[in-house]
Amino acid sequence: MSTREVISSGNDLAAMAAVDAGCMFFGGYPITPSSEVMHTISDLLPKVGGAAVQMEDEIGGICAAIGAGMSGVRTLTATSGPGISLKAENLGLAQMAEVPIVVINVMRGGPSTGLPTRVSQGDVAQAKNPSHGDYKSITLCAGTLAECYTETVRAFNLADRFMQPVIVLLDETLGHMHAKAILPTQEEVKKNIVPRKTFDGAPEDYKPYGVAQDEPAVLNPMFKGYRYHYTGLHHDADGFPTEEIETCRKLIDRLFRKVDAHRDEIELNEEYMLDDADILLVGYGSASLAIKEAINVLRDNGIKAGMFRPITLWPSPEERLEELGKKFDKVLVVELNQGQYYEEIQRCMGRKDIEKLTKTNGRPFSPADIIEKVKEVF
Amino acid sequence: MAFNYDAYLRTNKMPTLWCWGCGDGVILKAFIRAMDKLGIDKDDMCLVSGIGCSGRFSSYVDTNTIHTTHGRTVAYATGVKLANPDKTVVCVAGDGDALAIGGNHTIHGCRRNIDITLIVINNFIYGLTNSQTSPTTPRGFWTVSQKAGNIDPTFDGCELAMAAGASFVARENVSEPRKMEKVLVAALKHKGFSYVEILSNCHINLGRKNKMGNAMANLDWIDSITLPKKKYDALPEEEKGNYLATGILKQDEEAEEYCAMYEEIKKVHQGKRAKITPDDFNKKL
Amino acid sequence: MPLMKAPENTPVWTDENRCKACDLCVAVCPAGVLAMRYEPHSVLGAMITIVEPEACIGCNECELACPDFAIFVADKKEYKFAKLTDQAKERAKKIAENNYMMLGA
Repeated sequence: MSTREVISSGNDLAAMAAVDAGCMFFGGYPITPSSEVMHTISDLLPKVGGAAVQMEDEIGGICAAIGAGMSGVRTLTATSGPGISLKAENLGLAQMAEVPIVVINVMRGGPSTGLPTRVSQGDVAQAKNPSHGDYKSITLCAGTLAECYTETVRAFNLADRFMQPVIVLLDETLGHMHAKAILPTQEEVKKNIVPRKTFDGAPEDYKPYGVAQDEPAVLNPMFKGYRYHYTGLHHDADGFPTEEIETCRKLIDRLFRKVDAHRDEIELNEEYMLDDADILLVGYGSASLAIKEAINVLRDNGIKAGMFRPITLWPSPEERLEELGKKFDKVLVVELNQGQYYEEIQRCMGRKDIEKLTKTNGRPFSPADIIEKVKEVF
Repeated sequence: MAFNYDAYLRTNKMPTLWCWGCGDGVILKAFIRAMDKLGIDKDDMCLVSGIGCSGRFSSYVDTNTIHTTHGRTVAYATGVKLANPDKTVVCVAGDGDALAIGGNHTIHGCRRNIDITLIVINNFIYGLTNSQTSPTTPRGFWTVSQKAGNIDPTFDGCELAMAAGASFVARENVSEPRKMEKVLVAALKHKGFSYVEILSNCHINLGRKNKMGNAMANLDWIDSITLPKKKYDALPEEEKGNYLATGILKQDEEAEEYCAMYEEIKKVHQGKRAKITPDDFNKKL
Repeated sequence: MPLMKAPENTPVWTDENRCKACDLCVAVCPAGVLAMRYEPHSVLGAMITIVEPEACIGCNECELACPDFAIFVADKKEYKFAKLTDQAKERAKKIAENNYMMLGA
């Protein structure tokens, strides 16, 4: 893979990634600590013939973005936790109508207005089910500056592959971190773009939602002769509202299966010094930076720790976590919330005797926090 | 020979699920005639509706259609339009949709003056959900949420749209289908935000408990509270509160349209023109 | 303009599969051409009926007022419509007074 070096911030990198991945529309609303995504993309998009619009509120931001996505273009919105809360209903529509859209959430302290300028990983549970109803979310979580770029690119390809929203979690630390990142070149990114599937048969044969039970809808771009209907209501193969019992059951079942059947295409993890480790640290996002540093120090002191880092948070890496749960006796989960992913790890590992280190005061972990906890509990 | 609406309809969705005599169908017909009069290709239009009885409007027209969440039509349409500025984008919303839950999007769609036509079907009530008070329900009317009589002041969507900056504002009465068609033709032709309010009947969920239980009685009541703009303007000020003016209330062909202005933003970033300054707004961009 | 063919020698015709019997077309007809008949199989127990076709003046009001795409009027170039008579006006009034139902049924 050909690479390049860029000095930038996480938020700027996410905006650059979107445009490099072929995004042509952004709809958003200012919110700390994600606003720089909008600032940067509103310069980049018009340059390539796209459009960025600052809407009247968070809801308007995602609605405009979904509208553009429905018309067939790659589309983005960016926000922080309070914004996700407001966007939730329309994220549900994008799940139901199967509209690809990338949503960047630069996490800050919550709940409510919380700590707008401080870091948190408090939106992990929200990312799983931001809207009411049953559907299967895809959520990626960048852990490095470079991943603010690469995970945003991956999110666009996954959104088009699975025809649904993909949330990219950044956090205040990463969003505002300014440093060197090694990125794939723009050519490399463009080469790997996989656009959404389209139907090119006769319009009268087109059934946008009439697909295999483990596949996403095939939604052609608008204005090309395939006139169909989007709705947030339960709908039939043609996309029109229905309450027919079997159709309703199959629709929701498919929203799950299209993701579950293709977990291998979605799952991405990092394993750091796990091979010879005695202690398993599990963490994600910016917390993993402190975890890695802590592991290095612990190893200097003769304590063999290693890290498992899910990059795709939802769906969670169930099988790998189960294996690791069997392999490691000593497990510590490190996250900047009260244990939102800890519960998922307990579930996947099928055991409750795992430790957690949590923090919800708006400050990042220092390696010392983690070293101290490891020495305390193991 | 007769006008063949079926050429624009999803005929397998007929009959509509609207109640007998519902104005929504009359508006749908006028809209189709307007589309036809302007020669708008079915492939080149996107029709966006919200939630409520009017929300089903989009599913009946054989074009690119979106049935969105409650109140968000203009926001969705803004995305469709900005991503596809050469296409015709139309919103259909109810009074609750456009003026209550979606009020903010209506205001700012008007303010941007983006080239979208917003048809607000005002039946003075939340019909689909069985008669709750809407922002346009007349005071003193029975609603299921104010059975003692509605005390909420009503507001005038056309005045709101004009104040917010829509460059085309009109109101029509559903019992005047020819005028309605004319107004819709003008609105669709207009480059800029077109706010069109159609006063419509809901004899079922407004009428039955307010002494107008059939379509004709409800339409007669609407006739009694509307006056063509010319006559309305001639009224003494103290009487104007009893009527709603119909016809084209505002038409400003000079106002800058948002997508056209956004093309200038593209030119700035593509190095084809200097940055936009306050001076640019004393003349055309 | 997309057109549909009129049945031969017919000024006004209906689609009973679409009619919901709302009475609107009957109410706006100035010439007493239309009325409702009892129809137990219809949702509201009534169905549109063309009672006096030869009185139709081709004004198209019924077509414009119908919310359900269920009534159609021939083109003036193709059919010689009647003039509005006092007798027709009187019939229209009586039908309205009869709750839009057919007279003498």
